[in-house]
Amino acid sequence: MYDLVIRNGRVVDGSGMPAYNADIALSGNRIAKIGRISEKGRKEIDAEGKVVSPGFIDPHTHFDAQLLWDGYAKPALSHGVTTIVPGNCSLSLAPLRAEYRTKLVGMFNQIEEMPLKAFKEGVVWDWETFSEYITRIRKGLAINVAPLVGHSVIRLWVMGDAAMERTATAEEITAMQGVLRECLDAGAIGLSTSYVDMDEKLQPVPSRYADAGEVEALASVLGEYGRILQIVPEFYDADLTIARLDQLAEISLKYAIPTTFSPLFVNADNVDAIDRVMRRVDEQFARGARVWPQVQTRPIDISFCFAVPSLLFIRLPGWYRIMRFGTPDQIVAAFKDPATREKLVAESAVYNALWPNLRLRLVQTQTNQKYVGMTVGEIAAARGTTPIDVMIDLSIEEHLDAHFLAADMGHNSDERVGALLKHPRVHIGASDGGAHILSFSTYGDTGFLFAHYVRELNAMSIESAVKKITSETAAIWGIPDRGLLQQGYIADIVIFDPQTINRGEEKYVQDVPGDGSRYVRDAMGVDTVIVSGGVAWTAVAGYNAETRGEVLPGQTQDARQMVPA
Amino acid sequence: MPAGELSQVRKSILPQHGDTWQSIAARMLAGVAEAEAVSKLQSWNLHVFMRASGAAGSVRGNNPILPSDVIFIEPPLAKS
Repeated sequence: MYDLVIRNGRVVDGSGMPAYNADIALSGNRIAKIGRISEKGRKEIDAEGKVVSPGFIDPHTHFDAQLLWDGYAKPALSHGVTTIVPGNCSLSLAPLRAEYRTKLVGMFNQIEEMPLKAFKEGVVWDWETFSEYITRIRKGLAINVAPLVGHSVIRLWVMGDAAMERTATAEEITAMQGVLRECLDAGAIGLSTSYVDMDEKLQPVPSRYADAGEVEALASVLGEYGRILQIVPEFYDADLTIARLDQLAEISLKYAIPTTFSPLFVNADNVDAIDRVMRRVDEQFARGARVWPQVQTRPIDISFCFAVPSLLFIRLPGWYRIMRFGTPDQIVAAFKDPATREKLVAESAVYNALWPNLRLRLVQTQTNQKYVGMTVGEIAAARGTTPIDVMIDLSIEEHLDAHFLAADMGHNSDERVGALLKHPRVHIGASDGGAHILSFSTYGDTGFLFAHYVRELNAMSIESAVKKITSETAAIWGIPDRGLLQQGYIADIVIFDPQTINRGEEKYVQDVPGDGSRYVRDAMGVDTVIVSGGVAWTAVAGYNAETRGEVLPGQTQDARQMVPA
Repeated sequence: MPAGELSQVRKSILPQHGDTWQSIAARMLAGVAEAEAVSKLQSWNLHVFMRASGAAGSVRGNNPILPSDVIFIEPPLAKS
């Protein structure tokens, strides 16, 4: 008798081959048989009318902290994501000496917009080494985790404060190589680094003080293991992005490793840039290099309130500074001060075409409820003032708890994004799951792929879409035995309705430690999610208390001691 | 495809240890007067030139060039 049999499903097996009708039997955590299955299962699922596919793999997330209080990475798992890759952009939560916890939390807060209070109230800091962190998150893990180790934290571990000031000495680079080896032995799937990010003091993150030789030395270690290098390039400029991908290509060729850079966006003002970047990607692949650009499926929407720094204001230094460094009382005081307000209004004028189109999405007072859902321009007309003054006034009245939405800010050309997503050398990813939790909901990018680009636009087949986010991702990242529905493979499986799968409406929920809130989206059309042979989530019963998530590739026993710095 | 057959892209370098505008100008734009060469480099690399200098007391001082930077040594190519 099998442990679980999924009957009558339409199997989209992740290979890109045409879908077919079959039953799937599971024994333990693996797929035992695919075909017509007469034997019974201890549990049976009728998938009539549904697609049965491999679990989706999300290669660009920042669930590092959330995994400490939520081993399901909610709601990602409910969207069919069975494997996540945290630790991107040079930031992971290990290895980390106790004295640098505050520093790293500050960086996560600045770069990934994770609330400080969530770390304070949701995290028990009982690890320092990567291995200890892995041991920690394994408890109650319901989703598979393939963690990157961050270059910035490796530098901090070896160099201390000097990591934020200078290049490394030869001895320090050797020590970093040793630390990286230990992290890879402990289960890290690769290394991440960043060429753009700023820390909580708006200074470059430690990885940006590394010269090319240091990056190469670390890449040589990745080469020993055949593991991946992820980078954040200067994505705002095509020439810089091309220079970076050339650098990556040389590394990929020299050390025979896969590399990936993220993000790559389509915007109205850089259509030509995307073509140039992709031409270069094609050329480098033709040389035998592996330089995978990651492209997200969803358009860019940004929500914000003035209580926390927002990406939308990063090019307005006066605004960004008070949002970054001011307390709520100080920000309100700045808004009320006529001279400061005048300066802020003047600085904001560069975006005067944008402000009227923003929409008020949330307030606390009864008085202002009548404006919720209206554009800032409409509210300005109703109040007889300007859009920027509306935003400031409402924020004062709501003590900064007025939330605005800037919708469709880019990456919204169906034709251009659709063409990119199906490009054979584009890697679908860059969701940023677990990060930017007050700016946008990253959950449901996979549902949006099927709903918009497969079902509505017919830009790609369902087989191609499934392949892109399952077997291709597993192959790029070197994740064995996952990403395909084949006999002997690990049973990470999603059952969904191809006619209704989608992302739900973005909603504001309070489920972050420290009474924090975030934007999320519920899954639509997903029926059942299976991780390592166990039912992890169903639309009917929700999350299952029995957890089977694994750390991938996770090949060694927990090591207790890192290489001494 | 050999590296030599890659299409032409804007030329750039990665800094050497301790590089400044002046040292890069001397190395990459030899033959151009220093002030002019530095000025050209700065105009081709606004992503570095416009960056705030290091924090007070930092080793980097007022040199905005980071060891990881891409530094262009020619202007943007004309659109083909």
